[in-house]
Amino acid sequence: MSKSEFAVKSSSLSWPDGLKGAIPLQVVVPVVATIGALLIGLLIIAITGGSVSEAVEAFWDGMAGSSFNIGSSLNRAISLGLVGLGFIFANRANLTNVGGEGQIAIGGMFATAMALHGAGSLPFGLAFIVPLFVGALAGGCWGALAGVLKAKRNTNEVISTLLLSFIALPLVYWSVESFHLLRKPISDVSSLPESPEIPDATKLPLLFPADGSSPLHIGLPLAIVAVIVVWFVLRHTALGLKLRAVGLNEMASRRAGLRASWLIILAMGVSGALGGLGGAIMILGQQYYLTSDFSSGYGFDGLVVGLLSRGSAVGVVIGALLFGFLRSGSINMEITAHIPSAVVLICQGLIVIAIAGSAILMNRKPNS
Amino acid sequence: MIEEQLAVFIGSGLRLAVPLIFAGAGEMLSERAGVLNLSLDGMMLTSAFTAAAASWATGSPMAGLAAGVIAAVSVAYVQAILSVTLRANQLVVGIGFNILALGATTFLYREIFGPLSRDAIPGFTQLNWSWLTSIPVIGPALSHQTWLAYLAIFMVGVTWALLKYTSFGLAVRAVGEDPRSADKAGINVARTRYLGVLYAGALAGLGGAFLSIADSNTFTENMTKGAGYLAITAVIFGGWTPWRTLGACLLFGFATALQFLVPALQLDVPVALLLLLPYLLALIAIAGFVGKSRQPAALTIPFARGAS
Repeated sequence: MSKSEFAVKSSSLSWPDGLKGAIPLQVVVPVVATIGALLIGLLIIAITGGSVSEAVEAFWDGMAGSSFNIGSSLNRAISLGLVGLGFIFANRANLTNVGGEGQIAIGGMFATAMALHGAGSLPFGLAFIVPLFVGALAGGCWGALAGVLKAKRNTNEVISTLLLSFIALPLVYWSVESFHLLRKPISDVSSLPESPEIPDATKLPLLFPADGSSPLHIGLPLAIVAVIVVWFVLRHTALGLKLRAVGLNEMASRRAGLRASWLIILAMGVSGALGGLGGAIMILGQQYYLTSDFSSGYGFDGLVVGLLSRGSAVGVVIGALLFGFLRSGSINMEITAHIPSAVVLICQGLIVIAIAGSAILMNRKPNS
Repeated sequence: MIEEQLAVFIGSGLRLAVPLIFAGAGEMLSERAGVLNLSLDGMMLTSAFTAAAASWATGSPMAGLAAGVIAAVSVAYVQAILSVTLRANQLVVGIGFNILALGATTFLYREIFGPLSRDAIPGFTQLNWSWLTSIPVIGPALSHQTWLAYLAIFMVGVTWALLKYTSFGLAVRAVGEDPRSADKAGINVARTRYLGVLYAGALAGLGGAFLSIADSNTFTENMTKGAGYLAITAVIFGGWTPWRTLGACLLFGFATALQFLVPALQLDVPVALLLLLPYLLALIAIAGFVGKSRQPAALTIPFARGAS
């Protein structure tokens, strides 16, 4: 960015002097965008004749009305947070991974396969650790594929990760459609195209097993560790700096002796692995069996979380909690207040557009 | 028997390619001007819904088509404000619009048509020219199409002529390659890019409307199923030229149509693998394994006067 452009931008900010620097625009814009979009959502419900109070009540109940709902919301936030973390990791190298959906799907599929075939009898908690690892590895390979294409063929990673998602989803569909893959035998009462339930040993242990109603599982501490590791790697290690260098100027970083191709593949691989881990946790943590559409929407939600966070791991946590609870609320709103959960999609779209559109106000543009 | 199935295959391949051909032609022009509309899918979905609603309300598919195009152009206009005037990240804005369009059309569909309604929507009928139908295989395939299919091919020609023979086309190419020089030469960069995006919106509108009021006479949630992304890939596959983009759209259409042909021929290939085939082809294509081509130099790069 040139000095002149910077000058124009700085002068266009109209903070009163006393507040200047107190609240950075990087924080104000996402907050205002989120609140504004939610208000528009409420307005839409009101205009279309829905009862706003009923909607809000159902929404609140779905988010945090019971320990089961709180646990479910947090479980959702775990997976969204991991996808969001993956997004900011790749974004550190100026790569935009929009293929979270496919990475979740592939991770969940391989984790299910591992849980059903082989991991169930492993001792010492390996029964669930191995499927988690396999899920992350599979998602990582899926992401790294886009990295290889970017590094070796200069293929735009936005397009390739999108296409890889469109390829991943039919693969999952295929795996639950075919009896010789993961589909459960038809002898059961139902013959839906889904996998059998995974063995008990492969399910993630609950955090509060004594409670009995809370589905919150050990994915939560795992995700917190992931947040800290990603934050530390990006901010305080040579690797974080190298990723940034490659993202800022690939040619210059090559001349400076960095292995740019390797760093690009690594960035996309780690990004995909976090998404794959998110998918594996969804299956092993609460759903317990694979369906063809289990990842539906989580990829975009995770992407929005990553975008909102503007590269900050703390931002990812806040965004993941927000969208985890939003999604739980919207599902309950659809069930009890009969208001289409698509309202929340509208809000999300508005948030993304508003933040991208106001990037010109901020000194640092998101991922451009 | 085989002949009949082949006719159905070619016919459905063409039918599936039509929305891609429309959207691909428009997107190609916009990308030549330097603006990538990842929101193409959202424009198509918006148009598909608006066309269905307007056609249902007025009973006239023509009114539906017009409404669909207007709706898609409106989306394109907002997208142009964001990506040209506000210089927002074109990819992020595009994804935002796709989420918004999916949410808005799903919501409105449920509000207006109810969750279970499957009312047939007034749509365009197939041409069924008898003189054409008598030709074996090709005849039925070509005549069991609506006039929009032919308009799609025609619009590719229009786009080609626009790019090649008009001063607007020259401006588009200049702005997409080197906006700074174009600006110095007196070309209005922003205006040219706005027109490019609006053109993409109009054609995406035709393609989206085709889905709901010519192809299926109904609207379903998320009915584009990624057609917009496929159209963008076709542009890349087509090396940013009109006729090769058309070829890529036809290829994707036929690849998708295989899912009807393969079961009919009693081949044991999983449907899921056929579903992912167009996207796999697209991935191979954009990875540059099928002919290398150069993208417009200023693609996705916003232009601001005086900035470097």
